[in-house]
Amino acid sequence: MEELGIQILKSLVSGLLMGLVFALVALGLTVIFGVMDIVNFAHGEFLMVGMYTTLLISPLLGVDPVLTLPLAGLVGAVLGVLCYFGLIRFLLRGPMIAQLFGTFGLMIFLRNLALLFMGSEPRIVHQGWLVGKSIVIGPGVVLESTKLAVAVLSLLSFAVVWWLINRTKVGKALTATSLDAEGARYMGISTELMNALAWAVGGASVGVAGGLLVNFWPVDPGVGLLFTMIAFATVALGGFGSVRGALVAGILIGLIVNLPPVWDAILRSIDAVGLRGLDIHSFKYTMVYAIYFLIMVLRPQGLFGWKQ
Amino acid sequence: MRKIALVAAIAMLAAMLVPAMAWAGPKEIKIGVIYPLTGPAAAAGRELRAGAELAADIANQVMPGINMDMAKNGGVKSLGGAKLTLIFKDHQGNPQLGADLAKKLILDDKVVGILGCYYSSVTKTVSAVCERYGVPMINGSSTSPTLTKRGFKWFWRTTPHDKWFTKDLFEFLVGLTKGKAKGVKAVPREEINTLAAACEKTEWGSNVAIEIKNFAKEYGFNLAANILYAAKSPDLSSEVQSLIAAKPGAMLFASYTSDALLMIKTLKSMKAKPKILWGQDAGFDKPEFVSLGDDIVGVLTRSVFLPSVVKMKPLSGQVNDLYVKKMGHDLDGASARAFTGLQTWVYVLEKAGSTEPKAIQAACNTISIPGNQLVVPWVGIKFSTKGDEIGQNVLGGGLIGQYQKQKDGKIGLEVVYPFDIATAPLVYPFQGY
Repeated sequence: MEELGIQILKSLVSGLLMGLVFALVALGLTVIFGVMDIVNFAHGEFLMVGMYTTLLISPLLGVDPVLTLPLAGLVGAVLGVLCYFGLIRFLLRGPMIAQLFGTFGLMIFLRNLALLFMGSEPRIVHQGWLVGKSIVIGPGVVLESTKLAVAVLSLLSFAVVWWLINRTKVGKALTATSLDAEGARYMGISTELMNALAWAVGGASVGVAGGLLVNFWPVDPGVGLLFTMIAFATVALGGFGSVRGALVAGILIGLIVNLPPVWDAILRSIDAVGLRGLDIHSFKYTMVYAIYFLIMVLRPQGLFGWKQ
Repeated sequence: MRKIALVAAIAMLAAMLVPAMAWAGPKEIKIGVIYPLTGPAAAAGRELRAGAELAADIANQVMPGINMDMAKNGGVKSLGGAKLTLIFKDHQGNPQLGADLAKKLILDDKVVGILGCYYSSVTKTVSAVCERYGVPMINGSSTSPTLTKRGFKWFWRTTPHDKWFTKDLFEFLVGLTKGKAKGVKAVPREEINTLAAACEKTEWGSNVAIEIKNFAKEYGFNLAANILYAAKSPDLSSEVQSLIAAKPGAMLFASYTSDALLMIKTLKSMKAKPKILWGQDAGFDKPEFVSLGDDIVGVLTRSVFLPSVVKMKPLSGQVNDLYVKKMGHDLDGASARAFTGLQTWVYVLEKAGSTEPKAIQAACNTISIPGNQLVVPWVGIKFSTKGDEIGQNVLGGGLIGQYQKQKDGKIGLEVVYPFDIATAPLVYPFQGY
């Protein structure tokens, strides 16, 4: 029983950390959707660009990967703005399907560009303040330093974005744009600028996330999809456009994918020989999507969604 | 009269030309090669491609420095010195795409046969296409045991498969408890009796998991955790938690490249301390894996080819030198087996003396390539034609290598099993994180 208690604690810690990682990746996606009703399929590729930025810039400048984060954020923001003015602005004139395929095309373009310049092999950061470090806080309860840093950054980012949207004039303009772009334009709000800002904020947040993640995760041109599949589920679960929803849903998903070790500990503690072979690890993402499916059926706007 | 003379002259000319043309045979022999050239296993794909290309280069030219029959002929001798042309296709790790590519190669490119596909899941679909069209396929590097259990008539596999490799692992563990490992005293059985395994869940990994389970039972080990996970997963911490909680003496893995890197990083961050850490080749035998540096010192991987094999086999050294010239690094398990796969194609064509599928089929079923022709440390190549495994090479063998720090400070693989050909003392226990 004691083992079970410790395992629950471990899974909670691990789930919280991973959940905050998922939430941070989903943040940019939900901001862009919230303002513009556009699902950015290329979101994961922004993450990949952030990862490569840190991977390449850190040895070039001879500084720790963590110190290159502002640069990764900047690259993400610039990429977001470029994508907005170079592609999205035109897509907005077309039907919904054009927007979907447009960002899908952007995803394939960015991925293949990375393939061309970086090759397909996974690459890792070898040295840094966060690389390979972890903090033991109890018997077997470990905080992995990269995930801890991402979690802290995640909370900070959510606080900043929440503050930006709810407590500033710019945020009011963003909200106005998302509620009724035409009305906002009549009120003298430059919706064009607001859209670009949403892409900049979305790109910056995921760029920084990438810069931090590469301290732990190997990066290759296809890495974006690993995280965006979860990010889409996170955003849909939390409610498209809801910042708070992305945070809660991210944590929820983090906790769900950390359930299997608890299950294993339960089996060990009750010595259920018959159930030994029942490995639920391979179903952990099935559980995530099952819950996603349930919520979609029962509450299509998501947990905290306000857009219909 | 003049007309008759003209017709007779043409007829004579034709009669002289026809046998001459028949004797000349095909100028080129097209082999379709399907590998993962992009996607998650592209790094392996690059090695596979280079291995096959090198074998074709050696077969197509006369290379006096290589002690191999195919290096002396400058093409396939029995086919009038016809040269091999390889047509590469990229399956991206996608079984359906692989099957489509195989169809294209057979119907559009009119290839004589197919080599590939590394991923067992792709080899499965591609071999099914070959079977349907009656086109021979030789597989050099897919190790799912089920592939040769389907009774296919057009499929031959040169590499030993995971059942053999996994058996090697258990023989190694038992040998360790009996003090057979070089430089290590007999290890108490209870120290390594508990095992925990995590395998990726496609065709290959899930079959490794089954083999591990079966052999653990047969050899009397306690398999406390046997986890399947998605190789394309953003997080492996829950899997690692369960592995550590099982308190195993040995942790066993079947991973592709990215997930192998993430697995080691997660094991390290969660401070895993198994006595033995073993990987079933693939991701554990890639240049990217070696870039993990000190973190992998002591890690074991099964392989069919390790750079230290050149110490035992001069021929491997000769081919390895050419490979280093081409790629800048040593042959590995993937490239050595791709080389051997294509080499087998050359010997089969030489024996068949024809590009007709039936003749190739007969040649495959009766061929016997001695070990002294091969770069891999096998007894030879001879395919089984009866029993529950059809088309499997019965003369193959596996190795277990260990990453060790070498004199120059670099991390390299040393052979630690079979015990009698170990190239360095075993580092035991694994340092832990």
